[in-house]
Amino acid sequence: MSTLLEVSGISVSFDGFKAINNLSIQIAEPELRAIIGPNGAGKTTFMDIVTGKTKPDEGYVIWGEKSVSLLGMSESQIAQAGIGRKFQKPTVFEAQTVRENITMALKNPRRPFDLLFNKAAANTEDRVRAISDDIGLTDALDLVSGALSHGQKQWLEIGMLLAQDPRLLLVDEPAAGMSAVEREQTTDILVRAAKTRAVVVVEHDMDFIRRLNCKVTVLHQGSVLAEGSLDHVTQNRDVIDVYLGR
Amino acid sequence: MQNTFIAKNPSVLWFLLGLSLFTVIVSICSEAAGTALISTSFLKTLGKTLCLCLVAVAMDVVWGYCGILSLGHFAFFGIGGYAMGMWLMYDRTKDIVVASLENNILPATMDEITDAIGAQIFGVVGSFDFPLIWAFSHSLTLQLLAVILVPGLLALVFGWLAFRSRVAGVYLSILTQAMTLALSLYFFQNDTGLRGNNGLSGLQNIPGLETVSQATLSLWFFWASAVALAAGYLLFAWMTSGKFGSVVRAIRDNEARVRFLGYHVESYKLCIFTTTAMVAGVAGALYYPQAGIINPAEIAPMASIYLAVWVAIGGRGRLYGAVIGAAVVSLMSSWFTGGSAPDINLGIYVVQWTDWWLMLLGLTFVAVTLFFPKGIGGLFDLIPRKGDRR
Repeated sequence: MSTLLEVSGISVSFDGFKAINNLSIQIAEPELRAIIGPNGAGKTTFMDIVTGKTKPDEGYVIWGEKSVSLLGMSESQIAQAGIGRKFQKPTVFEAQTVRENITMALKNPRRPFDLLFNKAAANTEDRVRAISDDIGLTDALDLVSGALSHGQKQWLEIGMLLAQDPRLLLVDEPAAGMSAVEREQTTDILVRAAKTRAVVVVEHDMDFIRRLNCKVTVLHQGSVLAEGSLDHVTQNRDVIDVYLGR
Repeated sequence: MQNTFIAKNPSVLWFLLGLSLFTVIVSICSEAAGTALISTSFLKTLGKTLCLCLVAVAMDVVWGYCGILSLGHFAFFGIGGYAMGMWLMYDRTKDIVVASLENNILPATMDEITDAIGAQIFGVVGSFDFPLIWAFSHSLTLQLLAVILVPGLLALVFGWLAFRSRVAGVYLSILTQAMTLALSLYFFQNDTGLRGNNGLSGLQNIPGLETVSQATLSLWFFWASAVALAAGYLLFAWMTSGKFGSVVRAIRDNEARVRFLGYHVESYKLCIFTTTAMVAGVAGALYYPQAGIINPAEIAPMASIYLAVWVAIGGRGRLYGAVIGAAVVSLMSSWFTGGSAPDINLGIYVVQWTDWWLMLLGLTFVAVTLFFPKGIGGLFDLIPRKGDRR
């Protein structure tokens, strides 16, 4: 295991409110990591910073063996560097078919002319099939993705992440609005993915986190409150205060 | 490959068949063919309509597919028209000047000819010198290049500045409209060197083809417009299908998400914006020789708004919708405002369509937006298709 992502000492404030306060997190490769914390703890802002949507006021975000700083890069460059992101609300392209959605996400050259002239599109069909098998949507490949159920959309989005073949997956509340069975399947997908790459899951649901069976980071008011196994952090006095003291 | 392209886009085949059929029928009915069922002036109207359809298709790609509501594409159309018109006007004036100087005892020098052409063209704005902007007007090739390159370059620079700063939505629309307004005001000035509000005229006379009758000439332009529309339609159908089209539509629906997939959204927008501007320029270059005259009022913001209205009424996000919208609305517009529509006598008030047409158009636009967001083209969805799952 080597360090893939190193976030150190970042702070960001919106109109005086400190959303992230001197936050440092290290993610190894491969690793499965869960990030929990009450509302407003800065979980989503953390993802925004790593993916280039928000620029921090101070601190560093260092990526990969070559220790590149992600702060000077655009969203698309960061995505191409190997960071994929799943949003809280499932955001698939509802007017297009499942196949089109996955194809768009497949790791391929991404410049306009590459796509226009269909370059490097080798074995697209097989790759799409492999992804759709993984997320259980093979039968729905030609359906317009707007017609999928909520849970299926979540999976499709995870599938699109896998299609990008990222080294780091940032997954924001993957189990939101899912049934018990769907949750279990989602856990399986994530655990499987984390065997070969880094996966960071932000989630509220403790049962879900327990099934992931991984290292947990607790965020509170923009910084790390505790880190360790789930049992370790749930016995932590500060964590109990933050979660139960409200 | 071609096979699958047509198979995946059956509407392209239908469109091309329809357009060919239309062209053949109109050609047979034209004065040049001897039947004269269609007057030359109406033939010109039809040819012009095809050019409007072409610019509407471009507008549909930029708005309906990529989600950029540009209120400036008619400006690109006008620039194309000006670029074409400059050569037409220069070369024809040159022919006239050379002919009139032939009787001189001493043969006229090049300078004298140039001065005389300058006086002929720019006398109307009180100038005699050729402005720098006309530097290439002697060359048909260079002006034809300008038809494509000037709108393309303008769109590239404008788009690069706007997209790079992440200007989007209604702000971008306002920005494009401001560009259009600035451009038309610039063209209105005499100092610009494009004859101010007089514009360029006599464009229906093609240098070197004086012996060809207007009836035949109009038919040629009609054919050229039909070919251009077919080519433009094919180009855009190809661009909007496949993976490139998939990404472009995704940008329309959720730009931020496309960024996180690793696509450089700005490049795609710029690619679409520039290509459509160039096609708009070609459409304009074919339109104005059929109209005979171009002036800065043509590129005023209003024209670009009409363009958006046509596409909305025809049906956004499908190429044939834009064609239908542009054809139906612009033909109806010329029918209503041409005075051939019968007045409606309400007893206390007589509705004269020349005044009330815009009102009708406006109400239609509102109605379509509210009740038929898919426009006229949406009617085709009612045809049940083989293998339709829904």
